[in-house]
Amino acid sequence: MTTTILSIKNKEGRIQKIAPYALLLPSLIVLGFFMFWPFLYTIYLSFFDWNMVSTTKEFVGFENYIDVLKDPVTWKVMGNTMLYIVLLLAVNFVVPYIFAYVVEFVLQRMKGFYKSAFFLPAFISLVVGSILFTWILNPVSGPVAIIAGWFNITIPIWSKLDGWVIVVITLITSWKIWGYHFILLFASISGISKEVIEAARLDNIPLWRIFFRIVVPMSSSTGIYVFIITIVQGLQFAFTPIKVITQGGPNYASSNVIYQAFHEAFVLYRTGHSAALSTITMIIFIFLLIVEFKFVERRIYYENK
Amino acid sequence: MKINKRWEIPWHIIFFIFILVLLYPIFYALGFSLKSLQDAYNSPLSIIPKNITFENFNQLFTSLPALKITWNTFVIASVVTIFKIITSFLAAYAFVYFIFKGKNVIYFFLISTIFLPFTITMIPNYLIISSLGLADSVWGVILPQLADAMGIFLLTQAMRSIPVSLIEVARLDNMEHWRIMKDIVLPLVRPAVTSTSIWFFIMAWNEYVWPVLILKTVDNYTLPLALQMYISSEGGTNFTVAMAVSVITMIIPLTLYLTFQKYIIGTFVSSGIK
Repeated sequence: MTTTILSIKNKEGRIQKIAPYALLLPSLIVLGFFMFWPFLYTIYLSFFDWNMVSTTKEFVGFENYIDVLKDPVTWKVMGNTMLYIVLLLAVNFVVPYIFAYVVEFVLQRMKGFYKSAFFLPAFISLVVGSILFTWILNPVSGPVAIIAGWFNITIPIWSKLDGWVIVVITLITSWKIWGYHFILLFASISGISKEVIEAARLDNIPLWRIFFRIVVPMSSSTGIYVFIITIVQGLQFAFTPIKVITQGGPNYASSNVIYQAFHEAFVLYRTGHSAALSTITMIIFIFLLIVEFKFVERRIYYENK
Repeated sequence: MKINKRWEIPWHIIFFIFILVLLYPIFYALGFSLKSLQDAYNSPLSIIPKNITFENFNQLFTSLPALKITWNTFVIASVVTIFKIITSFLAAYAFVYFIFKGKNVIYFFLISTIFLPFTITMIPNYLIISSLGLADSVWGVILPQLADAMGIFLLTQAMRSIPVSLIEVARLDNMEHWRIMKDIVLPLVRPAVTSTSIWFFIMAWNEYVWPVLILKTVDNYTLPLALQMYISSEGGTNFTVAMAVSVITMIIPLTLYLTFQKYIIGTFVSSGIK
């Protein structure tokens, strides 16, 4: 690396050696206290029976994990989480991928406008989004229900129905996170050499084939990053509308693994169950990351930058 | 280029409808916050108020300590932003301009925190903040947010775009590191620092998950928490007041975004996140 010169030519070699650690110290202290240590402590708590108030914690080994995995609620929540993931990916991975491609290579005008309009909701509180959509989508008196009524369509009482509640909460979450994913994918796609696309077009290759054969492979490392954060951060963002609108209900039908861990800890005061569930979630996330990194290393070597 | 002309119009139409759906809630909140409750019930479809009234805002400021709540939100967002941008800047400088033992390992660990679910840290953090006696306080909200891997990442990417030779020359002239930061690096990465700061500010302004665990009394609430109180009265008499809280909650982030959008989009586009 070119930066070597900085460390070699310097007279005060010792300062040079200590300096980077000193610069990192503030970040490391904060993250150490509020990220790494809590992370380890949660894993520790997952082996204890505790209610957050009592002065004694009882060591129970893997019992919390067994309890959690035996609990039918956990499996319902896992199923919900899978549905959330599939819907989140459709709206926040597939759609922005296509839209970013269209804005960059199909359209000639209004690119700037689309970029700023698409990104805008990312800057608004998801609590605001949750409240507004709750009213707009109110099945009786909301504007959507009134307009649908003209065509004799009834809006389901989505907040009380299995399935529907997840669809609506996913849409509200997507309203917030979609634009960020669009910007990331757009950044990557706009880095693809224009000549390649031009040449493909002159050969009359249809747009959808250019997308699958050239654009997707050449932007795949950003694509995979967006794929991962759609799952990892999407599930966490969904916490807000779940908490604000349904509190996980009706009968856990809208809860996901993130909300359930919160519910176990701060509503039921079962820290052991919550910690076990969080640890399982984290293991799934880490597994996902490793799989995707392997995938990136093996299969994707096109992307220039 | 001409080949695809026929696809342009349909896509513009799709995008316009899409943007209408995305932005409709914002206009809805703006319009209904200025309506009387009567007007809101009589014309639920029209966004434009018949007579503009500030009654909802009045009612909001009398029923809630709204000024205090806005101030709390502002203090939290400002302190978090200032600390985070400094810690991120220092860390990014270390990663870009130094070679040291454990560099890659530390960078990997820092960046991997982006992928941790917040549930894995929430119970211990709650216990730490409580044992420090900071539960239900503005400082309890601030403390765990003082460093951020995302900021380190964005600023590292921005600093990497500066020609290393500039820094090398400065080092050969025996220029101190803090002066290099202040006089060379900072001016060159100012757009990235500006947009990262705005991003931090807005994230902290909108933060909900952590404050909802920590804050208990209305006097210490932030805007998103105050807003949450109105959900229970679905369709009730507070409907237009809730719209007023929504407007107050989003007005500052929206103004910041609309003013600095070029910088902000530029920073995210050029960071080339992978």
